[in-house]
Amino acid sequence: MSSQSRRFLLVVFLTFLVIFEMVAYVTTTPRPREQFFQLYILGANRLLSDYYPNNDPNIGVGDLVRWHVGVTDSMGSVQLVVIRIKLANQTIRPPDDLQAQPSPAPLITEFRRFIQDNETWEMPFFWQIVNADMPEGYTRILEMQINNETYQVPGLTALDGHNFRVILELWTWETQSETLQFGWSSGNERRVAWLQVWFNMTSSARQ
Amino acid sequence: MLGIRWFLVICIVLAILLPLTAQTSSSALQPTEELQPRFSSAFALVHRAEAAGATREETADLVLLLNKALQLSEEATRLPGSETQRVALLAQANETLGRVETEATRLEVTASQRTFTNRIAAYVTGGIGALLATIAYAYGGYIWRRYRIKRTFQMRILPKVK
Repeated sequence: MSSQSRRFLLVVFLTFLVIFEMVAYVTTTPRPREQFFQLYILGANRLLSDYYPNNDPNIGVGDLVRWHVGVTDSMGSVQLVVIRIKLANQTIRPPDDLQAQPSPAPLITEFRRFIQDNETWEMPFFWQIVNADMPEGYTRILEMQINNETYQVPGLTALDGHNFRVILELWTWETQSETLQFGWSSGNERRVAWLQVWFNMTSSARQ
Repeated sequence: MLGIRWFLVICIVLAILLPLTAQTSSSALQPTEELQPRFSSAFALVHRAEAAGATREETADLVLLLNKALQLSEEATRLPGSETQRVALLAQANETLGRVETEATRLEVTASQRTFTNRIAAYVTGGIGALLATIAYAYGGYIWRRYRIKRTFQMRILPKVK
């Protein structure tokens, strides 16, 4: 084999080497993907319906409301998720998507769970108002039961019981700052996920 | 003299009362808050194991243990006033988190070694592939040249048919 042929083969080898090593690099390097969570709420039959007993958003004291709340982790790693349950009326500010600020509504309770990547954690969320009074045309919720645990509600009122809402906020554990944060960080962005479901507690519902 | 005696009595009373008050203030803390540094450290180790290349199946057991510890600490929060049971539950949660830490550290070492081996194997395979492709190219060129030579020697000069 002439030296020219050897040189030519060396060039061919180096060309193949570059191509094959690039393939090796691409296959061994994990591709960046979009990081996000999904938060959802389903009705009594785990469908996007039947959110209220008898499909009536007027809820009375002792009416059991059956929902199913779920979170899916698509962050690419194990995450600690916290679902915070808040009760609000019409005037309390909802969470702010742009500023990633949680709602100032009173916190009733929270549920915590570690979930894996691509895992969905779904839990029953059965609740009812167990104690309420009606001072001067207002309805005030005093106690709420969630999954058979009773919680005090710090004096939440609504005119004639209209437009109460249950707010569900997704909080996650930030490993770097070692704190719970509302929403999650995806690259340089802050993202949030929250849901709210409105209900009334009018005098007709209470009777 | 009397003053010294009173001082001693006060010291003894304080020595008895101080540990009791310390216990009361610590029990006022939420168990999840008490265990927060342990949770944080165990969770960080699980993340490190994942970053080192631990698979979903491998971390599944760690997630189960983390959730068990979480459940135990929440149960401790809900216990109505039973300090002994609360301390026992917290100790159990603490022990579970210890297991997570040990297992996550072991998993991180195993996963990083495996990732390193896989990466080296991929690059070596790339080199071997390039060598085999070059040999195939050279051999293909050789066959092609032989075929052309053979075809050249098979050529015949034929008179043009009018």
